[in-house]
Amino acid sequence: MAEQTELLHGTLDTLILKTLSWGPRHGYGVARWIQDTTDDALEIGEGSLYPALYRMERKEWIEAEWGVSETGREVKFYRLTTAGRARLKLELAQWTDFTTAVAKVLYPAR
Amino acid sequence: MEREVDSELAFHLEMRVRELLEQGMSPADARAAALVRFGDVDRITQACRDVGRRRNEDMRRAEWLTELRHDLRYAVRGLRASPGFTAVALLTLAMGIGASTTIFSVANAVLLRPFPYHEPGRIVRLYETNPTTDRFGISEPNYLDWVERVRGLSQLAAFTGGNLTLLGDGDPEQLGTMAATPSLFPLLGVRPLMGRVFREEESKPGAPARVVVFSYAFWQTRFGGDPQVVGRTLNLNGTSYEVIGVMPPEFVFPGNPVLWEPLAPSATLSRGETPRGDRRLGAIGRLAPNVTIARALDELQSVARDLARQYPETNREWGANVTSLEEWLIGDELRTRVQVLLIAVGLLLLMGCVNVANLLLARATARQREMSVRAALGAGRGRIVRQLLTESLVLAAIGAALGVALTVVAVPVLRDVGETAIPRLDELDIDWRVVAFGIIASLVTGVLFGIAPALQASRADLNDVLRSGGRVAAAGRLRSILIVTSVAMALVLLVGAGLVGRSFERLMRVDYGFRTEGVLTASLEVSGERYRERAKRAAFYAEATRRLTTTPGIRAVGFTNIAPFSGGSTAIRFTVVGRQPASADEFLSANWRTVTPGYFAALGVALKKGRLIAESDGEREPRVVVITETMARQIWPGVDPVGQQIAVGGNAAVPWTVVGVVSDIRDQLLQEEPASMMYLSFQQVSWSNMWLLVRGTGDPMALAPLVRREIHAIDPLLPIANEQPLARFVSEIAAQPRFTALIFGLFASAALVLAVVGVYGLVAYGVRQRTREIGVRLALGATPSRIVVSIVRYGVGLAGFGIAVGLWVAFALSRFMQGILYEVTATDAVTYLAVAALLAGCAAAASILPARWAAKLDPVRALRDE
Repeated sequence: MAEQTELLHGTLDTLILKTLSWGPRHGYGVARWIQDTTDDALEIGEGSLYPALYRMERKEWIEAEWGVSETGREVKFYRLTTAGRARLKLELAQWTDFTTAVAKVLYPAR
Repeated sequence: MEREVDSELAFHLEMRVRELLEQGMSPADARAAALVRFGDVDRITQACRDVGRRRNEDMRRAEWLTELRHDLRYAVRGLRASPGFTAVALLTLAMGIGASTTIFSVANAVLLRPFPYHEPGRIVRLYETNPTTDRFGISEPNYLDWVERVRGLSQLAAFTGGNLTLLGDGDPEQLGTMAATPSLFPLLGVRPLMGRVFREEESKPGAPARVVVFSYAFWQTRFGGDPQVVGRTLNLNGTSYEVIGVMPPEFVFPGNPVLWEPLAPSATLSRGETPRGDRRLGAIGRLAPNVTIARALDELQSVARDLARQYPETNREWGANVTSLEEWLIGDELRTRVQVLLIAVGLLLLMGCVNVANLLLARATARQREMSVRAALGAGRGRIVRQLLTESLVLAAIGAALGVALTVVAVPVLRDVGETAIPRLDELDIDWRVVAFGIIASLVTGVLFGIAPALQASRADLNDVLRSGGRVAAAGRLRSILIVTSVAMALVLLVGAGLVGRSFERLMRVDYGFRTEGVLTASLEVSGERYRERAKRAAFYAEATRRLTTTPGIRAVGFTNIAPFSGGSTAIRFTVVGRQPASADEFLSANWRTVTPGYFAALGVALKKGRLIAESDGEREPRVVVITETMARQIWPGVDPVGQQIAVGGNAAVPWTVVGVVSDIRDQLLQEEPASMMYLSFQQVSWSNMWLLVRGTGDPMALAPLVRREIHAIDPLLPIANEQPLARFVSEIAAQPRFTALIFGLFASAALVLAVVGVYGLVAYGVRQRTREIGVRLALGATPSRIVVSIVRYGVGLAGFGIAVGLWVAFALSRFMQGILYEVTATDAVTYLAVAALLAGCAAAASILPARWAAKLDPVRALRDE
């Protein structure tokens, strides 16, 4: 890839919500999961994950709890709230609508 | 917050480095690669901290709101659980807040609200002065000289009230007018609503133009707000006047004239013979920039001295005076009255606070256990204080709502009662200032009465209370202090009310020297073309007197230029013929009234010596004067004044002979000793605007139709105004003292009730707390009467302490009141003692109830009870 793929605005939020929908994770866990499932879309600037986490915590889509990591350190674990789950559903629906629309333009039915 | 973000980001980098190390990188490379992947660490840290901080604030706010909602629910539940307490507390607060907000609205209307003029602080009232008064009118030539010579005033304006008769379709109508120089409106900074005001050329000396400006009220009531009214003509006094403008509704001026006409001061032309000595104009000025009242006064006085040198005949001994607009329109006495009422109502509000605090304390003691349990369950002290304060504020808020509702009801009543007596009270209303006052008063009240009990309740030692069932001596001491305070404040209010009441009673018993029973007054305007000659006017007064005197039901009929207490006066300077002035500065002046012979009988003024004014004292006959006893005593002490002569207004060529002496009357202020007065013959001193005084036997208003019929039988076009019982003038002159006495009386009654309830509450509470002790004493053989005596002694002792403190405070505050008292000193011992006795008596009565209840205790049950 010659250029860095800019994640579409808001897409990062959706990814985080999706990640957390499998269960609570700490920030690094979220980053790893995104790295593994997106072929490393966040190769550069994965730190931007954290402001997003804090923002969503303020919006009460996710909530944090201190726990102990696999390496034995105290670390924050994030978990989806009910509001967050509803948000994820909404964003997935929007994403599907959006990609369907884009696909119709890019690959018109023959 | 910082630590949270730092450790989280550090963990991330650490994990990434560890992973890269596992992939076989060197530590340095792994570290560098992790940082590249991560991005700008500082920027991200900062972003996280910002969001995190805001998140924490949100949470705190949410938590606070939740707690508040919880506290509110808890408070409301608590208040509903004890309806008796809640009702008494709310009533007390509603009364305190309602009363203080109402009185504040009065202060706001009268004192605080700015005058509706441009920079009212720069406007001053100007007077001429002489050795007997420092507030006299100004003559036209003197006014013109002031305008020319005084530099410290950027503008001057003169005005004089009068009457014009409107002749139209219906009955002729007498209208109160104000003639004003064209400078008056720009000086005040007011513009007409429609049309224009006077131009300079409309006030050529001695020849005012026939134009009028309407007041808003007149335009509305007489012309239904007709937008086409400017340019119309009006028949006034038989002359045609052009309507040139209408003033806006907010424009007010003393005397509330309905019409404005131009005033044209002249140095030479005047109705009097010596225009410079004929001082009947009012004058105002606007201070030039950077000029103080004191400097303007200096300059005016120096101008007055110059004029006195220049015109010694008319201006010797005449000086000048300047007062602020406020002093003219409000006056010291009214300001004192309102301030005293504000202090009184403040005390009442404080008393309300003290009483409610006391109730809350009693309640807190009863709820000690509840609080302790809450504390034991982990509620912090701050939390409990907040909870109790919330309860107080809820009480205060409901009390405030009730109080403001009370204000809304009281304000229109007060306006109607006081409107005529108190300047500017007609605009009494509830504006933002009043509402703000009510809200602040209730907030402060809520905290004031809530804080002490809340702290008290939260401080209680947990273990102590849980173990013993809670009896808190400290709360008892605090309550005693509160009750003492309450009694002290009640005493101060009662002393104030007593002084004002006694003063008012004295005022009502003043012998003003004439009898009002059965007397009707009416104002007649005998002017215009038909009455240009003196003889015509004299003939009218004589004929009206003759006709009315022969009307059944009418006993006496008189005319005078000033009815007693109608709010006007006429005075003149004189010298005694054949007597050298005691000094060059001697200045003799007396009030004068021009009257018909029937005046004395109509008012019930008694002849003491010589004779009265008679029909035979005609225009061409020798000038006669009837003087009052005061004047006789002052001018001719020890000498028979009958036959003595005076010269009036500096004219020695025409002597006036004293023909009789009559009894004194007061006709300006009830509290003022009668002034020297002389009565002149209506034929020798002719006046066009006269007051008719008719004495009948029954209700004076029943005479009104008879008067109307007879007057209109002589002249159907003559306007009759102000038909009212003479007694109303007397009652209006006492309206301010009555208003003060009434409000003070209400406050004092409320204060007394609060104090008595307070003492009763504390004594009853004490008895309940000491049930066991009393039981023991009864069981040991104490007689019930001994118990009663000891408890009453406790209550009265408490009150006595409050009374002592109150007497001291009242004494210290009393000097504020002297200005509104009449023939009662502010330290009047009788009032102080009576009030102290009253309060002590009430405290005793309030203690007897619980004492008797204690004495009737069954010792066995009392001992078992606890």
